[in-house]
Amino acid sequence: KIEKAKPIKCGTFGATSLQQRYLATGDFAGNLNIWNLEAPEIPVYSVKGHKEIINSIDGVGGLGIGEGAPEIVTGSRDGTVKVWDPRQKDTPVANMEPVQGESKRDCWTVAFGNAYNQEERVVCAGYDNGDIKLFDLKTMSLRWETNIKNGVCSVEFDRKDVNMNKLVATSLEGKFHVFDMRTQHPTKGFASVSEKAQKSTIWQVRHLPQNRDIFMTSGGAGSLHLWKYEYPAQRSRKDSEGAEMGVAGSVSLLQNVTLSTQPISSLDWSPDKKGLCVCGAFDQTVRVLIVTKLNKI
Amino acid sequence: MPVWLREYSWRQSASAVYLSLPVRGGRISPASIFCSDQYLKVSIPPFLFEAILYAPIDDTNSTAKIGNGIIFFTLYKKEAAMWDSLTLANANKEKLQYLRENAVLKAHEKAKEETEAKKVTKQENKKYALEATMKLEAAERKRIEDLKEMERQKVTEELELWKKQQKDAEKHKRVQKEWQVHQEVEQLKEKKKEKMNKTRIPNEGTSKTRLKPTKGSHGSCSIFSENLKEEQLPAPRSGATIKINFTSRVFPTALRESRIAEEEEWLHKQAEARRTISADLSELEDLKEEEKNADWLKDKGNKMFAMGNYLAAVNAYNFAVRLNNKLPLLYLNRAACHLKLRNLHKAIEDSSKALELLTPPVPDNESARVKAYVRRGTAFCQLELYTEGLQDYEAALKIDPKNKTIEKDAEKIRHLIQGTTQDS
Repeated sequence: KIEKAKPIKCGTFGATSLQQRYLATGDFAGNLNIWNLEAPEIPVYSVKGHKEIINSIDGVGGLGIGEGAPEIVTGSRDGTVKVWDPRQKDTPVANMEPVQGESKRDCWTVAFGNAYNQEERVVCAGYDNGDIKLFDLKTMSLRWETNIKNGVCSVEFDRKDVNMNKLVATSLEGKFHVFDMRTQHPTKGFASVSEKAQKSTIWQVRHLPQNRDIFMTSGGAGSLHLWKYEYPAQRSRKDSEGAEMGVAGSVSLLQNVTLSTQPISSLDWSPDKKGLCVCGAFDQTVRVLIVTKLNKI
Repeated sequence: MPVWLREYSWRQSASAVYLSLPVRGGRISPASIFCSDQYLKVSIPPFLFEAILYAPIDDTNSTAKIGNGIIFFTLYKKEAAMWDSLTLANANKEKLQYLRENAVLKAHEKAKEETEAKKVTKQENKKYALEATMKLEAAERKRIEDLKEMERQKVTEELELWKKQQKDAEKHKRVQKEWQVHQEVEQLKEKKKEKMNKTRIPNEGTSKTRLKPTKGSHGSCSIFSENLKEEQLPAPRSGATIKINFTSRVFPTALRESRIAEEEEWLHKQAEARRTISADLSELEDLKEEEKNADWLKDKGNKMFAMGNYLAAVNAYNFAVRLNNKLPLLYLNRAACHLKLRNLHKAIEDSSKALELLTPPVPDNESARVKAYVRRGTAFCQLELYTEGLQDYEAALKIDPKNKTIEKDAEKIRHLIQGTTQDS
């Protein structure tokens, strides 16, 4: 049991190698720390990255998945999204901040994607006013943005290390959107399908590591829903001006279960055993679950 | 008068009496037979047969067989004794009457009891049916639970197996590695020996694997070997900043679709309030600070009115309205001014606005409403729209029927109307 001075909001193993297993955490004061859990007194890397609480953190390049430099992205209530490299101290390698004079919105969630070779990376960020922004780190520019009319609680690409395929964004009011990221239309952006799953906030979405079309959403009413995405017959088609436009598929509910009366705020799948997952809820319990018969889907 | 049937024949045994009664002509139905424990009656109009039995019988078990023109009774005696005759010999009228009534009563009671018994059995049946369905449902549920439980157990077993497998695999790997490392150490030792014998040749690292010293914190295995492909990690990116804009939102809270309507309303109200305040500010620059109060302006207006300075009063009321357009009194008073100034249309407008604002018709704003109606009525009449005027006067009268002036004026208008209609 290790205790630190400031409460910790989020953490990830995403940017470390399988041997090192360093945990990167973001805390309530805006500090990003990377800890060696065997010697946790002093962090391996520490920076006061943000002025306010770090709401969400993601890592890429570690765990033997993907290629390229290990990087960590943090999204904070101060409206900025910063990308860090553990080898570079004190300054982020990328900083997405509002223009001067713009009032800031809380960034609630961040996710890496499109890391299929050493240069390509994108970061997707979701904000409390319903904005979703996609930043391309190779060109250091804003690639796409949209607004889904409800605060965005969680975004995740179905795989971080391939050419970006699908992005799921969950929000307040029980809605989630699945975007088909293979075809970007110049004005309409990415095609999407949305579903209203339950009356309460959908706190998190996680794709099954063994099958990228299956994902689980966790809800504010203490329930977990397992979904399957089906691709349409044609993933893209030409619109009236001849530009390529994506076609969204459909989502179907496979199973759901209510575990608790409190929101289930976080959830993750095991990369080794298909169907093993863990979730943590506001009723101060951590539950380990097994989903069976995933082979038959 | 019924025809008494007297022809009957009977015989008896120790426990039963057998009576056969021929009935000619009439149609025999079960309803025509009435039997109680000591009284037997068969009534097939116009025939009638009546018998007060010698001793009581068990009328529930006794039977009557209806044949072709004959009824055959089997009456079971309550007491097994031989009867002297079928009927009681000295049956006087009163006894007969009494017995008849008794019989009827008894029959009624029996009927009642029967219905009750039926009800009770029905209830029991229902209960039974309910229980049966509940049992079925419970069985179904149990079946599903059992399936789930079996599945659960299967999966836990699988999980344990898998865990064990992982552990074994890991152990195996470790053992292999150690052995490998051991081998390499031997090789190195040999090479070192060779080197010492020969001249020093810089080690070009012919062996594919490299050894790394322990990371002291990892306990059990002493030496790890690195990955075969020596990845050259790209340098950290050059820092850059991307400037972004947000979809604008006034509220600091998160956006929720279900709240959009409420938020719009709130913003609208705020905008309106701000508009009234800011619009006036530019025009009311002439007024001093204290004069920007709607009430103060109202009082000012009232004073002007009292003094007869109607234009000034209107002016004051105008300013007051701009500051606070929800006070009905302002419109009311302005209407009065307009009346005096003979701006009749404006008077009508203002009285109407006042009435609108006084919409919840409660006793509190009675007097105000009366005034509003009266003023509007006056304006209408002065415009020679007498019918509308009368309507308003009558509305005023409805609210305050005791007001004599209003009544008088209403009468006057009525006469005027009747006068004009007569002329045209």
